[in-house]
Amino acid sequence: MAAVTNSIGNRAAFAAGGNLRRLDPAVVGTVLASFFALPIIALIALALSGDSEYLDHIASTRLAEFSIKSTKLAIMSGALAALIGVSCAWLVTRYDFAGRRALSWLLILPLAMPGYVAAYSWYAITAPGSKFEAASGWDLPTVSGISGAAFIFALTLYPYVYLLSHNAMEAHGRLSWDIARSLGAGPWRAFRQITLPLIWPAAAAGTALVIMEVLADYGVADFLGVSTLTVGIVRAWSSFSDPAAAAQLAVLLLFGALLALGAERTARGRRQFASTGASDTQLSPRSQLTGWRSAVVAGLAMLPIALGLLIPAGNLAWLAINTRPSDSVLPALQGTLLLAIGSAALAVFLGLTAAYVLRSGNRVARASVRVLQAGYAVPGAVAAIAILSALAIGQSVLNALSGAQAAILTGGGIIALLLAYQSRFAAVAILPSEAALMKVRPELDEAARSLGASPMRVVTKIHLPLVLTGLATAGLLVAIEVMKELPATMILRPFSLDTLAVTAHNYASDERLAQAALPALILIAICVPATALLNLVRPNA
Amino acid sequence: MTNRFALGLVLAPLVVLGACSQEAETSDDTLVIYSSRHYDSDYALYEAFTEATGVEVEVVEADGDLLIERVKADGDSNPPDVIITVDSGRLWKADQEGLFASTSSDILNQRVPASMHHPEGHWYGISSRARVLVYAKDRVQASELTGYESLADPKFGGRVCARSSGNIYNISLLSALIARWGEERAQDWASKVAGNFARDPQGGDSDQIRAVVAGECDLALVNHYYFARMALDTNEDVSNVEVYWPEADPGVHVNISGAGVAANARHPELAKKFIEFAVSDEAQKLFPELTSEYPAVPSVTYDNAVLDALGKFKADPLDGTTIGSRQEEAQRLFDQAGWP
Repeated sequence: MAAVTNSIGNRAAFAAGGNLRRLDPAVVGTVLASFFALPIIALIALALSGDSEYLDHIASTRLAEFSIKSTKLAIMSGALAALIGVSCAWLVTRYDFAGRRALSWLLILPLAMPGYVAAYSWYAITAPGSKFEAASGWDLPTVSGISGAAFIFALTLYPYVYLLSHNAMEAHGRLSWDIARSLGAGPWRAFRQITLPLIWPAAAAGTALVIMEVLADYGVADFLGVSTLTVGIVRAWSSFSDPAAAAQLAVLLLFGALLALGAERTARGRRQFASTGASDTQLSPRSQLTGWRSAVVAGLAMLPIALGLLIPAGNLAWLAINTRPSDSVLPALQGTLLLAIGSAALAVFLGLTAAYVLRSGNRVARASVRVLQAGYAVPGAVAAIAILSALAIGQSVLNALSGAQAAILTGGGIIALLLAYQSRFAAVAILPSEAALMKVRPELDEAARSLGASPMRVVTKIHLPLVLTGLATAGLLVAIEVMKELPATMILRPFSLDTLAVTAHNYASDERLAQAALPALILIAICVPATALLNLVRPNA
Repeated sequence: MTNRFALGLVLAPLVVLGACSQEAETSDDTLVIYSSRHYDSDYALYEAFTEATGVEVEVVEADGDLLIERVKADGDSNPPDVIITVDSGRLWKADQEGLFASTSSDILNQRVPASMHHPEGHWYGISSRARVLVYAKDRVQASELTGYESLADPKFGGRVCARSSGNIYNISLLSALIARWGEERAQDWASKVAGNFARDPQGGDSDQIRAVVAGECDLALVNHYYFARMALDTNEDVSNVEVYWPEADPGVHVNISGAGVAANARHPELAKKFIEFAVSDEAQKLFPELTSEYPAVPSVTYDNAVLDALGKFKADPLDGTTIGSRQEEAQRLFDQAGWP
């Protein structure tokens, strides 16, 4: 019922008869999607331009292995991240214990740790012959292979699930929880039947982000020895010197990502959850915990932070202390900040527009935005190559039209890089915006429209304030992703622009983790306040 | 928050960025180098060049394959003057893509051995590294080892460590073995080595060495300078491992880093001067002294105790171009041999 009302309300809002500012969602959606999906289109064109020789070779040798490993890794990491994210969100919402306030935002921090840095650091701590094992006498299981990679992904990506679930639980959870308990349901039943369904869309959205990030990753899987599809893609490109072959595998990966997205939508169902409108004072207080119970819960909540951030960062700090810093760190810091801020601004705009398109219920529009979101699963290196191809095509069209040879579009440059980021991180911008927009009651739209407000006014005066937190989340998440991004940055950046991620990776990949430590730590140090800001833009706890 | 304010907020960064994306015009006196190396020796080289000639150097660093794609895509718009890359495979690939211009001079031809530069002067080697075996002194006797074949020897079942087959160093080694031994023998070797692995390939060369030190395996395949680097690092203890030179047929595999004048270079004369400087005694010393690589020019003397202790070895004189051209075949063979 809610779904039907919502789409009617929106169609009315958007397609008001006689009003010039008509924003047909199908048109907006298609324009938006085609602009940012240009790299994906170029990717498909690149894939089709090659022959099937590489595919034949790989199909007879390693394709099955690549696909199975990618799927297994994605499922294991997603499940573990969901487990950690949802349980931590629940602990922090349901109970009050020593340090709860601080922990509720500290839990987001592991997002600031790039996966490849965590992999290098954890491997160094647990590998045979590590100094830590020698000093402590402990024999830790080595972080390597699929389980090692899932461990790393879960610990550095669970904040996506935590953040979205926590927002949802704060908004809906406590009131309904109390009602359920007062009706006699046990705590587990209340959680399972009331809280879980309410936060399901948010948790599913967060897990979808985790899975797509895992599918696109190259650094962690390659270093820890997991032969995923993405590793195969990069190999096709570097060892076989066959960008077309790489693009072919990437299209396969894209299918997988679309499937994951589709599964998330189906799992979520057609449910849309509007806020119940209950004010804060009606939310019940948390369950107080004292003594040893408080300590245990605090310890549990602390665990993901320690494993995902403190321990690997601590190891790097220890390495950095004994190492001379290189000169490239300061310019790299400037580069990172510049790219992050620019991308965040673009992301907010993109996220909002796309979320509206989705909300309109128009099928063409929705499909195009879905494809756009799947760009998240395309490995950065492949996205960059696709962008270069797209720009080259664009340049030749421009040359043909204008008759001139001005090379505005080709080659690298900030614009190309920002385009690559947006096409890669559209999902990160859209999902939180969409989740936020879902909180807006459809009746508000109708009321406003019946009072004579134009569609744009509905957006700015009514929706915007309500969804501000979602937009801010989108902007911050994209900023953090951009700061950590590696392969697309390496390919497309203008030659004067260095980033911390690139600097750290160059050293680490040359097995000089000690020199990589300082830029990696600075990267984490600026991501940390950004993730802390994520806490500030949440609905008040 | 009004419509206009929000719009301004979004547009402002774009305006700023648009302004920034006007890349600084490089002055006539700046040499642009694209390099996939990021070692201290290189930074010292650039500084030394600027000091000696007064020419400023602008360096872009990126991984080997990414660098090639970037130069291809840039075409005429932002050409480098010099391209430096690691590994014969990448030099060959860059050459195939037409990224190098031919250059030659007496200095270059006299100092750099023929096997270490392109026959038509498209690129010149500036440093080299050897792919060697390291073994645990208490578990393996040097007398048991006979070249790279030892890695495939059944008596080392479950005792061998190596990194993944996707790594360029392994690919180049197999390329050389294919050229020397033929496809069948090379693939047989690769699959026997993979069968001897103590663990799935993971980590880098240094991690293989550490695994031997810790006893997880007894024999590993690594580049010599990782061992040398660890031997010189007071935080690492490699006293119980030793380097073995696999000199048996075809000889120790030597791989090169090379530099070439870029095809669209704006300052080709300056670029040539840089490469000539890179093979001078003063510059060549930097490689062994700061990175523990071997200099390209054989007559250069340097100060590195660990390299001196490793001594001389019989290298496979196979040229870089042949090694590079068989890269794809090598990766294919690795896939078929089951070396992940």
